[in-house]
Amino acid sequence: MGPQQDNAALLSRIREDAPGAFEEFVSRFGGRIYAFGMKVCGEREDAKDVLQETLIQAYRSLRELTHPEALTSWLYRVAANACLMKRRKGKFEPEREISLDELMPRPGEGPAAEIPDPAALPDDAAVREDVRRRVRSAVGDLPPAYRIVLVMRDMEALSTQEVADALGLEISAVKMRLHRARLMVRKTLEAGFAPGEAP
Amino acid sequence: MSAGHVHGGPECKALFARLSEYLDGELDPAVCAGVDEHMTDCHRCRAFLESLRRAVAFVAETESPSLPEDLKKDIVSAYERARR
Repeated sequence: MGPQQDNAALLSRIREDAPGAFEEFVSRFGGRIYAFGMKVCGEREDAKDVLQETLIQAYRSLRELTHPEALTSWLYRVAANACLMKRRKGKFEPEREISLDELMPRPGEGPAAEIPDPAALPDDAAVREDVRRRVRSAVGDLPPAYRIVLVMRDMEALSTQEVADALGLEISAVKMRLHRARLMVRKTLEAGFAPGEAP
Repeated sequence: MSAGHVHGGPECKALFARLSEYLDGELDPAVCAGVDEHMTDCHRCRAFLESLRRAVAFVAETESPSLPEDLKKDIVSAYERARR
């Protein structure tokens, strides 16, 4: 049985409020939602709240969801809204879109350092943990509107369409924010790998 | 593109805006072929693309924190209590 059929079967059990359906729902999606909350909010307590709010609200509303194929983007929409409630400003809209000119290297400006090839990293736990820390920090430093798109696309592997559906954005806006988010992460990582930069 | 290509012109700037779509395979084949050709001749764009590819790969490889088992149990228990 494929994931879509699994989801359809689970949805049927949820509509019947069958015994164990909620636990199955938590087992299937809880980990993803918790990880998503951690990556977007950055705090364990916030991620915990996001998980609880998302699961309970989603479970109550799932009976009305008629298209199982939309389940994933629908769940992320609920989770994104829960993350949003954790933010003081209460929105994921940037004050202004970052222009590409700000992220493009100036003519004549060489790279500060070379970002290592992930496939060629030494098999050393300390080195790998150092890189992971740098990446988490670079993602955490992104403006929230860009971070949430990057998390959904590159960490949670949602499609561009699913991200657009979950966040209520046009496809073009998802692509634009994803590209800028990647450029910012690249820039931060490059600067971090420059000689003399403390890990 | 000529052998005397100088990085930083309009062609490089136009391409810069679409590098993520290129990496994601979301460009039309004709546009993609144009990027391939540009990359052959412009080593600065090629190096930039490679650094972007590596950054994206690192992000994609980030480990997801796992759901604490006690948190899962608490949520299920709270739901079951509310259901009764």
